Order: sequence, then structure tokens, then C-alpha cells
Amino acid sequence: MTDRLTRRSSRARFAPLALVVLLGAAVLLRPGDDGGALLLANPDRTQVAELQAAFAALPEAPLVLVGLDADLGTYPEIRVAVRAALADLLARDARLAFVSFTPEGRAIASAELDRLERGGFGEDELLDLGFIAGAEAGMVRAVTDLLSDGVEGSVADAIRVADVGMGAFQLVLVVGGGEMGPRSWVEQVGTRLPGLPIAAIVPTFAQPELAPYVRTGQLVALLATLRDGAAYAADVGGGEAAEQVPSALAMLLGMLIALVALGRTLAASLWGLGPVPGEGAGTSNRRRGGGRERDDATADAADADVEAAPERAAEADAAAETDPGDEAEPASDAEREADAR
Amino acid sequence: MSGFLGTDLAGVTATWVAALVTIVVWSYLLGERRLFRLAQHLLAGLATGYLVLLAVREVLLPRLLEPLARDPAANVLLIPALAMVGALAGARWLPRQVVALPVAVLVGATAAFALGGAVVGTLLPQLAASVLRPGTALTLVNGVIGLAITGLVVLGFLHGVPRSRVTGAAAGAGRWLLVGAIGGWLGFLVVSRLALLVDRLGFLLGDWLGVAR
Repeated sequence: MTDRLTRRSSRARFAPLALVVLLGAAVLLRPGDDGGALLLANPDRTQVAELQAAFAALPEAPLVLVGLDADLGTYPEIRVAVRAALADLLARDARLAFVSFTPEGRAIASAELDRLERGGFGEDELLDLGFIAGAEAGMVRAVTDLLSDGVEGSVADAIRVADVGMGAFQLVLVVGGGEMGPRSWVEQVGTRLPGLPIAAIVPTFAQPELAPYVRTGQLVALLATLRDGAAYAADVGGGEAAEQVPSALAMLLGMLIALVALGRTLAASLWGLGPVPGEGAGTSNRRRGGGRERDDATADAADADVEAAPERAAEADAAAETDPGDEAEPASDAEREADAR
Repeated sequence: MSGFLGTDLAGVTATWVAALVTIVVWSYLLGERRLFRLAQHLLAGLATGYLVLLAVREVLLPRLLEPLARDPAANVLLIPALAMVGALAGARWLPRQVVALPVAVLVGATAAFALGGAVVGTLLPQLAASVLRPGTALTLVNGVIGLAITGLVVLGFLHGVPRSRVTGAAAGAGRWLLVGAIGGWLGFLVVSRLALLVDRLGFLLGDWLGVAR
């Protein structure tokens, strides 16, 4: 069993190398017809075309509900696409009403509304519906009762004339990333208002979860990667959107940092150089040494008893091979708190 | 350019604060923990304050207290709602049976809506699209492959059940398929986080230092 574990551990050491080889092969073997695979903007415009088609299908001066429930941690990834979409809608004379079902989404919606107002848009184009509490229950209620009594303005009047709920809108644009994302909209709003088209812009990590909803037509369009967002912004945003795309220098630095991190992991895995993979940045050498001594002692004790209990010896060998820092006791209160985090 | 902050004094001050806090958070990478902990406390305090403000200004006042004060007769249902809010706020001093009612309503309603929506909005439409959709032979093959993968992954979760050689191999294949799927999802996550790192670098270089707009 020890030999098997050793063989498995040896194979695992080459996993980062295999990843690098795989990435290299992917870049070399399929650079795209025009080198598009190496561009930030996705050369495959399918998703972009779907969103543009959804916008093009809107009537004149449409009412669009923007469900802004992005996550503060992932919003920067989709910010360019969201702003390009809002600019695109406003260029089509759309009237936008912003609503949020999460506190983080509300903070982002406030900031975006503030930015649009600084850009010259007023109450004829924008309406702040605020934060609605209650998660799914609040969303279900908002289907029929979206406007509270104090909400005023020309957009609010237009909504009241048509329907006080979400039925007044011609499109919902969901900006996801938080708990109440496009899936919640599809499940709670889409089932109650099947004629209301829902489009979504979400961070990359949500793409696998949401792609099936596009295939079933429950989402009319989905932008879910930075590359799709950049492609859309380049198509509709013009110069303003180009300013908001991350600068080449920032991307270069980010890639370099990623390569350094991958290189250190590779070196540590293959030749034992640098930090052990999975080790925290603040781990002290003293702590590692203490952990190693303790694991060695555990292995020795097990070896002494190996004839009576061979399984225990194998377990001790496995323990000795594992990351020594994981088993070590924190040296101080500060380290203990850091570990707890 | 994040575009959130203007070029006036408030905007410049906010940009500097954001840049310094970003550097403080990154100082953890170099082993600096006191400043990082300070940033954590700042985040926790600001988030708590923001949530309280949001609850009072956008929920309790406009949707509960003001309608109740303006026209109690037309908003009778808000009276038990106010009582439940009071019970939750005073949970520390009230008997458990009293607090259990609003908590039960909260959890039960949320779970009911979420579960009902998941069945009607996700499970049934996705099943219909996968299984009942008329299509070509390729669609059928796709469906069969999907079904086979789903079955193998489900077999991979059979722990503690006596297995034959065939089911053991199928369970192993299912676990590898699961690992592959998780690996793919983690790849998406890494790309996502890399985009965030680039954005922060862009903020520091562009908005703060003005060298890479």
C-alpha cells in the first residue's frame, strides 16, 4: 500500500507540468484562423449576436428592467459589458428601471446610477426602484407589485400606466454574480411571466450553470465571460468602452503574476523548490520544522510497531508524505487566528 | 478605469483610500498580518453599517413603518409583520417559542419559493429539453451520452454499498468524470479571479497612478 501511495504521489508531482504542457499545446495547436484565440475579445460572436438581437427586438422607447444583483468581488469582470449594454439600451431610447434583491447588488446599482446621472441621464431615462428584501419571496411579490408608493417620475408613470408589476417591461436585463442571479429570475419571474424575455450578464464562473437556460430559451441571451464582454463592448461601445477595457500593462502584469505563481508551484512540485503547494504565504519556517519533527516521530512510532499493524505503518508513511505544515500547531495567537481564517 | 469615482476632491480622496486599502490587503502576500487584519475589521464594520442603513432606509421605513403610520386600516397585514420584526429584533430576551414563529415563516417561505421555482423553472424545463426534445440522431446521441455520464456520476456516490467488479469500475469512472467537471469549473474560477487581479492592477495603474489609462 505504501508503494502504491508513493507511486500516486510521484504521479501527482507531475500534474502541474501536465497542465503547462496542455495549455501550451492548446495555444500552439489552435491559434484560430486570424489569431483570434489570443485576442481578448472573443472572435465567436454568437453570444454577442444573441444579446444584440434581443435588444433589436425591443419596441421604440422600451421599458427595460435592470436586475442588478452582481457580487462586489466579481463585478469588475463584467463591468465593461454591463456598461456597454446600458449605453446600448440608452442609445435605443430605452427607459431603465434598476432593482436589486441583494445588498451588494444595491450598492453597485447606486454607484452605476450615480455614474449615469453624472453622464447626463436623468429621470426621463432612469428609475431607481431600490432594494427589495425577501430573496425569492420578495422577487415573487415584485412580479405583481414592483412600485412602492413613494416612487415618482416619468418612468414610474409609464410603468403604472402599463402594469404596476414586472409585466410592464419589455425586457429584463439581469446582472448576476450574487445569490439572486439569472437562475432565480428564470425560476421565479420566468415561470410567472413566460412572455417576458430575460437576458443576463454574469461572471465567467456562472457560465456552466446558466448555459442550459440559453439552450431552452429561458434566457434569450447570455454574456458570461470576459472575452464575450470585451467583444460586445468593442462592437457597440466604441471609444468609451475601449477606455474601460483593462489596459495592456495591467493585463501583462496580471499574467506575469499568474505565471510566477504557476512556476513556483511547478518548481515546488518537481524539485522541491519554493513553497510547498497549498502552503499559506505567512507560514514560518519554524512552524514547518516543528511539523516535520512531529510527523517523523509519528512515522517512527508506527515503524516500530510495523509487524503487529502493517496498516498503521502505511498510514504513518502517508502522513509523513503529506504537507508537514498542515499538522503543525500554530506558534502564536496571531498564527492561530490566521489559520482560523 | 472603474468610472465610479469622479475627479472632484471626494473622488480623488476615495481613489486614494481605495488604492491604499488594496495595497494593505495585498501586504498579506508578504506576510504582513496586522495591516491585513485592520483591513478585515474595516470591511466587517463598513459592511455591517451598510446593512443596517439599508434595512432601515429601504425596507423598514418605506415598506413597513411609513405605510402603517399613513393608513393602518389599509395595511392590516403589516401589523403582524411589525410584530415579527419586533420578535426577531428582541430574540435575545424573548422566549424561544415566540422567536421560533418569525424564523419558521422566514425559512419556510424562502424554502418553499426556492424549491417550487427550482422544480417548475429548472428541473422540468431542463428535463423536457434534454429528454423529450425531438431532434436528429445527433441530438439522441447527445442525450444518451448525457444520461450515461449522469448515471456514472450517481454511481460514484454509492459509498458503503456492496459492489461487483462492473459497478466498481463504473463508480470509478463516475468519480473521474466528476473530477474532470470540477477541474473544468475551477478553470473557469481561475480565469475569473485572474480578471479581477487585472482589474485591480488596472485601477492602481490607471485610476490612481495615471500611468496606464
